[in-house]
This record gives sequence, C-alpha cells and structure tokens, in this order.
Amino acid sequence: MMYERGTQVKDVIIKHDAPSTVFLDKHADYIAVYGSKKDDYEYTLSEYLRMSGIYWGLTVMDLMGQLSRMNREEIIEFIKSCQHDCGGISASLGHDPHLLYTLSAVQILCLYDSINVIDVDKVVDYVKGLQQDDGSFVGDKWGEIDTRFSFCAVATLALLGKLDAINLDKAVEFVLSCMNFDGGFGCRPGSESHAGQIYCCTGFLSITGQLHQVNADLLGWWLCERQLPSGGLNGRPEKLPDVCYSWWVLASLKIIGRIHWIDKTKLQNFILACQDEETGGFADRPGDMVDPFHTLFGVAGLSLLGDEQIKPVNPVFCMPEDVLQRIGLQPDLLS
Amino acid sequence: RKRLPPRVSVWYYWSMGITYTMFHGRVKVKSTAQQEEEKRKEREKKLKVFVSARDAVLKKRSAGENDEEALQLTQQLLSSNPDFATLWNYRREILMHLETLGEKEDVQKLFETELNFIEACLKVNHKSYGSWHHRTWVTARMPRPDWTRELSLCDRCLSLDERNFHCWDYRRMVVKASGVSVEQELQFTDRLIGSNFSNYSSWHYRSTLLPQLHPQSASDSAPNASSSPTASPQTYSHRVCEEQLLKEYELVHNAFFTDPNDQSSWFYYRWLLGRAEREEMISCVYVSREGETVAVAFSKPDHALSVGLMLVLDGQPLQVDWRSAHPRFRHSPVWLCDLPAGCISDINNEHSLTIHWTEKHTHRDCALYAGSVESWCRDTATDQELFRSELSVEKTSVLQAELQSCNQLLELEPQNKWCLLTIILLMRALDPLGHEKETLAHFQTLKEVDPMRSSYYSDLCSKFLIENTILKMEYAEVRVFSLSNKNLTTLCHLDQLLLVTHINLSSNQLVRLPPQFAMLRCLEVLEADDNAIENLEGMYNLPKLEEISLKNNHIFLNAFLEICKLSDLEVLASCPKLTRLDLRGNPVSEITDVQFQLPQLLPMVVSLSL
Repeated sequence: MMYERGTQVKDVIIKHDAPSTVFLDKHADYIAVYGSKKDDYEYTLSEYLRMSGIYWGLTVMDLMGQLSRMNREEIIEFIKSCQHDCGGISASLGHDPHLLYTLSAVQILCLYDSINVIDVDKVVDYVKGLQQDDGSFVGDKWGEIDTRFSFCAVATLALLGKLDAINLDKAVEFVLSCMNFDGGFGCRPGSESHAGQIYCCTGFLSITGQLHQVNADLLGWWLCERQLPSGGLNGRPEKLPDVCYSWWVLASLKIIGRIHWIDKTKLQNFILACQDEETGGFADRPGDMVDPFHTLFGVAGLSLLGDEQIKPVNPVFCMPEDVLQRIGLQPDLLS
Repeated sequence: RKRLPPRVSVWYYWSMGITYTMFHGRVKVKSTAQQEEEKRKEREKKLKVFVSARDAVLKKRSAGENDEEALQLTQQLLSSNPDFATLWNYRREILMHLETLGEKEDVQKLFETELNFIEACLKVNHKSYGSWHHRTWVTARMPRPDWTRELSLCDRCLSLDERNFHCWDYRRMVVKASGVSVEQELQFTDRLIGSNFSNYSSWHYRSTLLPQLHPQSASDSAPNASSSPTASPQTYSHRVCEEQLLKEYELVHNAFFTDPNDQSSWFYYRWLLGRAEREEMISCVYVSREGETVAVAFSKPDHALSVGLMLVLDGQPLQVDWRSAHPRFRHSPVWLCDLPAGCISDINNEHSLTIHWTEKHTHRDCALYAGSVESWCRDTATDQELFRSELSVEKTSVLQAELQSCNQLLELEPQNKWCLLTIILLMRALDPLGHEKETLAHFQTLKEVDPMRSSYYSDLCSKFLIENTILKMEYAEVRVFSLSNKNLTTLCHLDQLLLVTHINLSSNQLVRLPPQFAMLRCLEVLEADDNAIENLEGMYNLPKLEEISLKNNHIFLNAFLEICKLSDLEVLASCPKLTRLDLRGNPVSEITDVQFQLPQLLPMVVSLSL
C-alpha cells in the first residue's frame, strides 16, 4: 500500500531491477509446454474454462508468430467433440455448453481458418435462442443475464458473418440501458461500471455500428483514471492494478479513440515488470505467479501500445488483425 | 522483508465470467528442493481427490442419476470449486427432479437447505458468478422466499466488502422482488457513505435511485426530450428535480471535504454538474443557391434515412438522396442533399424550404430570398444550451458557493487534482467566457500535478477553448473562427461550424484535420500553419474552399519516416474551387519533382507554394 496525505492509494511498487524488455521467446516456450503436463493441478482444476484457455494460448502464440508450435489437429478434434446437440459449445468434454466457450471455440477456428469443422448453422441457432425479449442475452439455458454475453453473441455471429440472425436493435437497446452516470457499463441495468464490462459493451457497440451512442469524453476520462502511479491500470476506482486491465481498459480506449489519454511509457514499464524472466509468461502484477491468461493480455496490451515485435491486435476481438482481414471483418472505431 | 508463501488467494478478479481462485495474487516464492518436493506431493494428493470426485460426478450425470449421492458429490466439489459451472447445472437438475417428488413444504425445506449450502460457498468465495446466480435461481423458484433473510445476507456481505458488485446486483434483484422502497435504499446508501472510505458502489447506486424518487416534473423537461424508458442514467441529472439536486450537492460536498482524496465523490459530483441530454432537434438548415445543395445539422449524430428526413420545396415534397458529410460516417450530425438542377438557381426567384424530421414530428423552415446566394436558419449555441444549462437563481447561488468552497479547499490542498478539475467544471457551468483565463491557468497546474493525464487535460482544454470561441463568434455575429497559438491538441464541435467561412488554427499542436472537418460546408479560407498535421482526411468535398495555408506541418510524415505518398494529397482534388495552396515547410516538399507532379494531381490550383 502506498500512502498519500493520509489516504491509502492501492497500488504496487515496481522494483528497479524489474524486467524492461519483452522476452517473447520465453513466453512462447512457456505457452508451448503449458497443458502438456496434463496432470498438473492448476491445469486440471481449470478444465471448466479449457476452451477459453486454449484461445488465450493460441492467440498469444499467433501474435508472437509462433502458432505453428501448437497442436492444430488435436485442438480441432477437441472442439468438434465439444459441440453439443443444441449447437452450443462447452469448455471441455463432459461440460455443458455456454456462450463464453462458444465464442472461444469460434475464435480458435478462425485463427485456424477451419470454421466449417463444426455445424455453423447450429451455432447461430444456439446464439439466437439465447436472446431475451428485452434484447439481453443469457449465457446458457440456466438464465444468467450479463452484457458479457451480449458481446459474446455479436462477436460470435460477426465472426460467422451472421449478425442478422438476432434482433440487433433490441440487443443495442439493452446494452445502452446498462450505461451509467460515469459513462461506463455494468453487467445489467443498474450495475456498477467495470473495465471488463466496458470492454464488452464498447466492443459490442463497435460490432453493431453504434459507437456514436457512447459519451467518449466522459468514458475516456473514467478509463484514463484507471492508471495508477505505478503505471499499471486497475479495473475500477480504488482497486489494485492488474496486467489484464492493460487489455480491458486499453482496448476500450482504443475503440473509443482515446488511447492517447494513457501514459504509454509508464504502462509499458508496468506490463514488462509483470514478466517472469525465469519461467516466461506474465503475472497479474510484478512478483506474482504467471498464467496463460495474463500472458495473452500482457502481450496484447504491448501490441496495442505499438510494440513492433508483436503482430497488430484487433481491439474489439482480441485476435490478430491479419486474421480479421482474412475474414473481412473491420469493425468501426471512434477516431 | 519476508515474502508470503504462495497460497490460494482470497482476491478474485473479473475475467470474462471466470473467477480465478488460483491465478490471482499468488506471490512467487523461492523455496528449497525439499519444500518443492513436499509441495509437489501435496498437490498430487489434492489432484487425485479432485479427479476422483469429478469423474464420479460426471459418470452419475451421464447415467441420469439425480439423487442424494449426486448432491453430496457436487457439494464436495463446489465448495472449493464454485466456478465449475457444469456442477451447478447438475445440481439444479437434481433439485428440479426432487421437486417433483415432494410436497410443497418439502420443496421449501429442500431449497432452504440449498440456500445454506450456497451461503457456505459464498463464505469461501464471495465473488463467484456461479454461486450468486444459483442463489438467484433458487430464490426465484422456491415456494416462499425469505427476502428479509436475503437482504440481511447482502448487508453482511457488503459490510465485509462494500465494492462486491455481485452482491450489489443480487441486492438489486432482492429489492425489486420484495418491493423495498427507493427511500429505504437511499437511506442505506446514506449509511454506507457516512461510515466508509470505499464508496464508489454506493454513489453509483444513488445515481440510479435518485431519478426514480425525484423525477423531474413534465413541465421542467424539454418538449422533445428523449423519453425512452431505457434512456441511460447519465441523462438523469436533468431528470432529478432541482430541489433534490441542490440537496445532493450538499451531500457530496460534505463527502469530499471530509476526505478530499476519496475519488468517488468527485466522480459523482461531475455527474451532478453535467449537462442533461439536449432535446433532439434540427439545429441548422443551410441552402446554397450556387451549389444547389441543402445541409441539415442535427443536435446529435444520427442516420438521415432511419430518422426520416423529408424535404419540401415551395410546398412540394422533393425526392432527394441524403448523404453524410463524409462517406466514413453512417451516423453523422450533418446531412447533405443535392437539389434537382436548376430548381433554385435563378437568383431572381424566392423559395421556401422546409425540412421535416418525421420521427420526431418536428421541422425547420428556411426562406431563400431573391438576390441571395445562400440562406440559413440556425439556433445559436446559447439557444441550444450547447455548452451549459440554463441556471436558475437558486442553482447559480449554490454553484457559486461551491466554487468558493472548492477554492478554499485548493488553498489547503494545492496539489489536489480532483479539486482543480472540479473548479474548472464549476466555472464553466457558471460563466465559461468570464472564467477563461483562470481556467487556462488551472489546466496548466493540472498537467503539472497529474502528468500521466496531460493528454486528457490538453484535449479537454482544447474543447473548452473551442466552445468559448464558438460563443464569441456568435455574439459578434461573424462567420470567422480564429483560435491560434492556444496549444490546441484536438478539434471538436465541428458540426457547429457549418456556416463558418474563414478558419484560423495556426500555431497549435493539431496532428490531423479529421473527417468531421468535411462538415464546414461554407469554408472559403483555411489557415493552419505551424501545427503537426499529417492527415488531411477532412478536406473532402468542401464546395467553397478556395485557399489553404498549411505551412510548417508534417504533410506527410508517417511513423517510419519514409518518403510520403503524393496520392495522400488527392483528397484536395475533391474541393472544386481550390486555387491557392501553401505547403512550404512540409516533408512533401522534399519529394523529387514534386513541383511538377503536384500540379498534375491538383490542376485547378494556380498558386502553389512548396
């Protein structure tokens, strides 16, 4: 904790010997072997999100130009076996389908340009069936509503070229009803603004061509106030910085045309300090244990900041720009 | 200093719906080979237990067994793995099956037991989406939900962590389901705000409660104000009746005077000061006889075709094609159309034009008199309450008192950026032109005390300077916009410059003339020397533009400092009357043979300076 005139400012302190260059080769080595040790404790306990875990690993490898080191055939077979009769896709074998993992699966198949190994029409039906009367989306048949799922729905359909399958006007109406006094967005109408939800909602509005409805100046201010003295970004006021917010916050700022409101150098220093020089990979904050999730968002954040050793990343989809160009998907961003 | 051993953290952070109990806040520690081995053995053991239980559960589920044993197994796993969503799903299937077997009272007991279980899970991890959603599902389904109990759970949870948004969202559901009054909830926020540091969630909740309790009366609100039921709370500032609004200033004032570094109250205060959403209307209609075009400006960006713009000329509806000022924008505040050739070209004829906005049942009239080459009808920025709201006597006096107090606070805390920014916002609300000098000085201080956000402050200052210049221009009733040597970093409100004929932006820090610049349909002369302009996208199709001066800019300096492409200047060819172009002091001058190539690209430019 740092103290400033008697009031605690939650932040971290970056040591002077923290890493200051990016070790892309180490990170690629870390990801390449992650998951090969199938009897690993963390790996097994995170089975419930496996599809997303694979998406994080593949995307960061592709951004580093190392996608070929991953086992394409095995992964494609895995995805095929995770599509259920209803069309939805689960995180892993034996788990139930959900919109979150349906999106991750579609993203992976786009990276591999193999979207037709699954039944695309059934995926579209599944997504369509999750839209509610008020325009919102539930995550699965059990009824949880969240703007994250609005994003998952339109992102999935956009990647499949089937955005017209849902009621877009109603979907937009619901997301806009989640806009708050500070210009941000929460999970549901009335929910507090949170950087992750803001990423989902600005991404949603970009895909649906409705970014002009955002108050970019107000939201941009809230977002740039996420930057703490250490240079890192938090997810909402009075919280600790975390490298994954280098993605949620930064991508949101990029989408609304205000990325220059962040101190780029200080953020870069923070992200680099989150690397583990020994093991490769990024942690949530300097000195902590690494994982693939933070590794993706650390690298993606650096890409958004302009690191030329990393492929350009699309701020809406968190996928390499060249993949989206191949698909022909270039969602609008505010300037 | 000893570091803590690695442990499963009790902080959980948000990540696309996945709570990471294991990937967060785990400090990396160096340990001996023996410690490593012990750790490895322990994890291997834990893993075995987990895998065995998991396999047993999934096997039972495949077999369609919805029994007590399944409840036991899922309970064992969920207590420490509440993010294993499929297990909650299975549990719901089991409960639904058991529902069919028992009487209502048995079902009630079944679900009450379930609530106890969920509470135990929440104790271990109070931020699991899965646990909270399951509780929502149970209380929605049980015969007699005990909302008092649920509210008490929320109270306890929030007393441990006032920022737990899962709990707040659950609370909102309980309040709605049980009919707790808005007053009661407002009082709840009063209590929390009065006793705690970390209040952002409470202030946020207040922002949603106030408009419900103290809505603006129908007579207060603007005639065409957007009244959609899903209008966002950021517009509610206007929707709260003034009496309550003024009371709210006092509440927030007390908060930030108690703790001037508690940022949440300053965010909330900015919202209170903020303007309401303006009524949607046509703010300007402009007709050019020579160009035979009509330009229509809306108060906010929209899509002409979807809002139903209709043109009536001399009493006859005309079929026209609407286009936005720049092809980049499907939604734009300014829309253009061409009139059929010859219909208004005779200078001796008078014409009347009406633009209907069918969706809003509103229209604007514009008369083009004999002898006039152009005509317009426009509300000024003041009429539109563009940059500040009309202030009542009471509100003015409250805000003036606030400004005084904030200035006193600034004397005690000269480095407090929240206070500085708030003073600027108060000055703008009260008298933007009168306080211009002080505003600029405060922005300078802001950049010094909060350098990470210098770009934000520069852009915000630019915006306020542009607003002031528009106001001055309107008061002087001229069509010249001049803002040079003011450290301008960005351009905005370009939709308000539709009638401007001369613009001077020299000696600033602009890097581009954005596509929105194409809305300056009357522009004849552009001076933008001594900036850092590297992009001229906005110089598109400006029908009256004759002269451009862009000395000492970066046309075209891209990031790689390669030879620039001459074709980037092609956009200027879209301006039919352009005859004078000054590009001295730009990288483009260095291109080989540019003095021969450029005239070929822009043949109509007779005076070219390189």
